[in-house]
Amino acid sequence: MAVTERTQSYADLVADDPREFRVHGSVYTDAEVFGSEMDRIYERTWVYAGHESELPAAGDYKTVLVGTQPVVLSRHEDGKIYALYNRCRHRGAVVCRQERGHSNFFRCRIGMSQSTGYPDDFDRGAYGLVPVSRMANYRGLFFISLSDHGPTFDEHIGPARKYIDAWLGRSPVEQIELLLPPHRYEYPGNWKLQAENGYDGYHGNYVHLSWQRVLQLSKESTVEEVQRYRQEGAARGLLNGHGLLERPGSLNPASSWTARMMDRYPEYAEAMRAKYAETQLIDLSARRNIFIFPNLYLFDTHLRVIVPKAVNRTEVQLYVYALHGVPDAINDGRIRGHERFYGPAGFGAPDDIEVFTEVQTGAQARGNEWNLFSRGQHRERVENGERVGHTTDETPQRSLYRQWRLEMSRP
Amino acid sequence: MARQRAKASRRQHSPRTKSGSAALPAALTVSDAERFLFAEARLLDERRFDEWESLFSEDGSYWVPIDPAKEPGQGISIISDDRKRLHERVFRLTQTPVLDQNPPSRTMRLVSNVEVEADGAGQARLRCRQLITEVRPGGLGQAGLNVVRVFPASCEYRLRRDGARWKIVRKKVVLLDSDQPHYNLSFIP
Repeated sequence: MAVTERTQSYADLVADDPREFRVHGSVYTDAEVFGSEMDRIYERTWVYAGHESELPAAGDYKTVLVGTQPVVLSRHEDGKIYALYNRCRHRGAVVCRQERGHSNFFRCRIGMSQSTGYPDDFDRGAYGLVPVSRMANYRGLFFISLSDHGPTFDEHIGPARKYIDAWLGRSPVEQIELLLPPHRYEYPGNWKLQAENGYDGYHGNYVHLSWQRVLQLSKESTVEEVQRYRQEGAARGLLNGHGLLERPGSLNPASSWTARMMDRYPEYAEAMRAKYAETQLIDLSARRNIFIFPNLYLFDTHLRVIVPKAVNRTEVQLYVYALHGVPDAINDGRIRGHERFYGPAGFGAPDDIEVFTEVQTGAQARGNEWNLFSRGQHRERVENGERVGHTTDETPQRSLYRQWRLEMSRP
Repeated sequence: MARQRAKASRRQHSPRTKSGSAALPAALTVSDAERFLFAEARLLDERRFDEWESLFSEDGSYWVPIDPAKEPGQGISIISDDRKRLHERVFRLTQTPVLDQNPPSRTMRLVSNVEVEADGAGQARLRCRQLITEVRPGGLGQAGLNVVRVFPASCEYRLRRDGARWKIVRKKVVLLDSDQPHYNLSFIP
């Protein structure tokens, strides 16, 4: 019964009801929905592909999947980064097999370099690798669109731009460098479960109770303090499917990481105060988990990239980055702190992944078709085009699914 | 249930462990090293994490790199525990409501290819291969459960003599696919 209803319109899978925002379980389990997501979201909109620091030298390359399509990002001898389909023009073999590497030219192993057997006027130069339709670089972050149509990158990123700027601003030179290799995990569940989770301010006090006990053991904070902290700030749903969880900024070392680092490292404080006015400092000291629709999160320690592999299989890559222009000790502390919570053996991330698999299994129960995302719907407000909810509200998730519904409904 | 089973096995094995796992001669032979490694593997398989933790020296560390060519502390690792964080790891597994080990992993570790370098003066380095197998049992159709996973690993231990015992100063576990994505690795690989 559900099958015939749902194939009529993907828009029906998200019920944007003012009192009861619901998402149909088949968005996690139906392979046909997944295929259409790849076509309509990942292979049409703007997808994050890599950071400029991953390809420092001419000839450096990185292979990625955009949706299900293999693409190579490569720094050319002109110093620019290009994105090309990883497919030889002859018989279609990939030209790069490794995840990343360095090469002077792209070589097809079937033998495109042997071009005898063609007429004299055969123009080999006309058979170069095919570039993707559109590419954009925002402050070192590279995004790809495999479609000539649809919103421009500026239109797409617009609502999130100021938050990305503040996130990068914790480096007084506004630069980061990814530290390779990344943490990687893969779970038997749908990609949107990770998307829903990164800015979810609700689950922490329950799913991460064990983490809170560890913090209590090390006398960093009591369970009550962490739970109080998790009530502060806001959950923001932005236009275009972006969203974030935000903890308030402050120049008090007791309540913000940035202020604490400035207090501990005078050279950092000096560089930050030289660059920013006080109001800017307060803003960029807010801790934010920023989701850029559909596949990127910016966290205070890492870039998180969601790689959908099948309707019930997802890889997640966590690229920890160093902030440039700060004392090494600050970055060392960030890295060790990241390792403690994240990755497949961290003290927090595996608990999240466990819950993803529980939702994935539960979504198979079709007699109970809908998941509820209405928490805080009645109390969220609209400010400058953003929906702003309590920190534990499902405001950003609703933003994700409104955009999902829009993209999936386009012809 | 699992707790009861762990208790039962503790009763059964602890007398042997006391006289067996750690009290070893100053000059380690391969069979001494095997005795140590097998006992360590058994502590983990039986989820006797507190006893396993006590095998480490006060300055001991436990490292599961992503890129084994790097030094510990350079870039990020799957696990890079100093002694304090190792204690947190064990505390989390044994004393907190940890979701990702509920249901808990059953593991079985096969240890082989043991090599020993000992200086006869209280320092030793052991190398071995481990085939760590793991499963978390659960109900029908539960995503992530009921699948036996296999983790081939190359391991290196640095030991230091501490009175009548040997303590682990560093344990390094390099998974064969350390740079590939993994599902839950919180069972202690």
